[in-house]
Formats: sequence, C-alpha cells, structure tokens
Amino acid sequence: MTAQRRAMASDTLALLLAKHGLELARHLRRLVRDDEVAADLLQDTFLRAHGALRGLRPGSNERAWLYRIATNSALNHLRDRAREAAALARHASAVEVAAPAWLDGDQPGGGAHETDPRHTAVWARVAELPERQRVALTLRVSGECDYEEIARRMGGTEAAARANVHQAVQRLRKEFR
Amino acid sequence: MKALERDEERAERRLVHRAFERLTGRDGTPLQYALMEDTPVGVLGLAAGPAGLRRLEYIRGEDDFLLRLLEEFPDRPLERSAALDAVRRELDRYFAGSRFTFETRVDLSDVTPFQQRVLRETAKVPAGKVTTYTDVATRAGRPHAARAAGNALHDNPIAIIVPCHRVLRGDGSLGGYAGGLPAKEWLLKHEGAILL
Repeated sequence: MTAQRRAMASDTLALLLAKHGLELARHLRRLVRDDEVAADLLQDTFLRAHGALRGLRPGSNERAWLYRIATNSALNHLRDRAREAAALARHASAVEVAAPAWLDGDQPGGGAHETDPRHTAVWARVAELPERQRVALTLRVSGECDYEEIARRMGGTEAAARANVHQAVQRLRKEFR
Repeated sequence: MKALERDEERAERRLVHRAFERLTGRDGTPLQYALMEDTPVGVLGLAAGPAGLRRLEYIRGEDDFLLRLLEEFPDRPLERSAALDAVRRELDRYFAGSRFTFETRVDLSDVTPFQQRVLRETAKVPAGKVTTYTDVATRAGRPHAARAAGNALHDNPIAIIVPCHRVLRGDGSLGGYAGGLPAKEWLLKHEGAILL
C-alpha cells in the first residue's frame, strides 16, 4: 500500500471513529460489562466495518450498520464466554433517579439515545440483570432491534425475546418508579 | 449521580482513544468538535483543544469538516463533544441578536505571529463598526502589508468570533469572505454596520 493510500485508509477509519466511536463504546460496554473486552470489541468493530466499507451501499445507514457489527461481535463474545463472574455491581442501588422514557411506555425501543445523565443509574442497574434479560433489553433500547431480530441474534423465539425484555422492564420499573 | 455519569463517559472516551491509537496511530490530545447545522449563514464547524477554540469554519457537512481536521491535525483523535455547548450558546445569542460579544477563549496558535496580530487587531473592532485591510495591517505593525493582512483574514481559523467580516476594502466595497459574500453581508446587516 502506498503511503497516500494508507493515509486515506486510516482517515476513513478515523472518520468513522470520530462520528460513532463514543456511541458504540457505550453500546458495547453495556452489552459486555468489561472495559478490556469492550475495548477489543470496539477496535474489532471498526476494523471490520472498514474492511467491509465497500459492502456499505451509498445512502445506507452507516450508524445502524456499525451497531449491527458491534452487536454481533458482542453476542459472539458472550456466547463463547463461560458464565462470567458477576462483577461490577457498583453504584446503582443507592441511587434514586428519574427513569428514561422507555421505562414508562409499554414498548421500549426506538429513538432512545438518551443523554440525560440521570439515566446512568438505570443503565448501571441494567448491567446487573441476568444476561439474557440484559442483552435483550439493550438490543431493544439502544440497538433499536425489533423482537424478531433480537430472537434471531440471541437464538430463541420471538416470544422469549419479548418475555426477556418485559421481565427486565418490570424489574426496573419496580425499582425506579 | 453526576460523578457516575462522568465515570461512564470517561470510560467510553478512553475506549475510543485507545481505538484511535491502535487503528490510526493518532495518539495526541483529542480535538473536540461540534456542528451548528441551521445558522442564518449556513453550516458551521467548531473544533477546540485544551487551550481554546481553534476552528469556527463554514463547512459543507460533517464528513467534509472532519476530513479537513484529520488532515490538519495528523496526530489527534477527534471526538464529538458537548464541551463546545458553551460556544454554541454564545453563537445562538449572537445570531438571535441578543448579544454580539463572545467570552470564549480562542487559540490562534495555528497561524503566524503577524497573522495573529492582524486577527487580534480585528477582534478589537466592535459589532456595528467596520474597518479596512490597510487599517488592520497598520495596527498590526506593517502599514504596507494590506494584501498580507487580507490573506490573514481570509485564512482566519475562527470566523465570526474573530470578526474578519468587519474588515472591508478601502473603497468601501465588501472585499472577500471565506463564507461567501452573502454571509459577510448578512453579518454586517445583522450587526447594523451597513444598511442595504
């Protein structure tokens, strides 16, 4: 590769990282709850995205596409990993906060890229949910997946996906309402 | 609660910086950026480092702006940041006409000492007033360098806040403007400097 082409390649990567890095770092940290793993998955996600850049049709949604790659990487990781020692039960429980909007509605999902700092406590609690509930809820809320997609990715039925999200929301509602 | 939010965000930023370093070799201090999409003079791109605002430019869009920053700052990661919200609020007030002065700290280290002097002299011209290229050249210590002063103003990295639009040609015509003459005219009318 010539120096110029290398520079261009790294600029494309840098461009993707600048625009979507923080959001995807948040998504991955929520899914895997481990900074070292999330760091690897994040780099992996952007490398893959970059490698497949030509596969992205012009005009298609770059952000959704990155989310999909990140989600798949994280789910693969979780699937491979032995049931992890529950860490990170930090913070949350003591904190009283207002809940994100999706906690109010019957159907979480859609447009929930919340930036309200008060939501952090809810997400910290999400991190302590059983794995299937946690992953299903995170996909629904910050991955914007429908139940069919969640079922496909987690391996299971749509009904099970719906049940996992429902149980997660019920539990959070009880604690934060 | 705030502390938790800060921890979370710091962790997210750390992951992104590591990815920048590993994947692109960019290991410098991150440069923060933001956009203002709907101003009366078009789309603006903002970028800041620890020492203050380094760019306020007329841009075509996010990618265009970022590619330019990546080229101009080859060792810096870029990150979209709410830290620039304060500047954006000042600009909103400016465009609304409720306040024409800025408190934001600017960092002019990207231009030559002469250009810095030109820009600092320009910054002393208040809203509602105008001056000439020759005048700022003189005040910057080089009375015969009107053309060089014009170039410095054309390359002004911090439009609007360093008000290069308030500098006109000696014959009273508008001269040039990086954001296009309609933008220059809009700003001057908005400030009440010209009645067209």
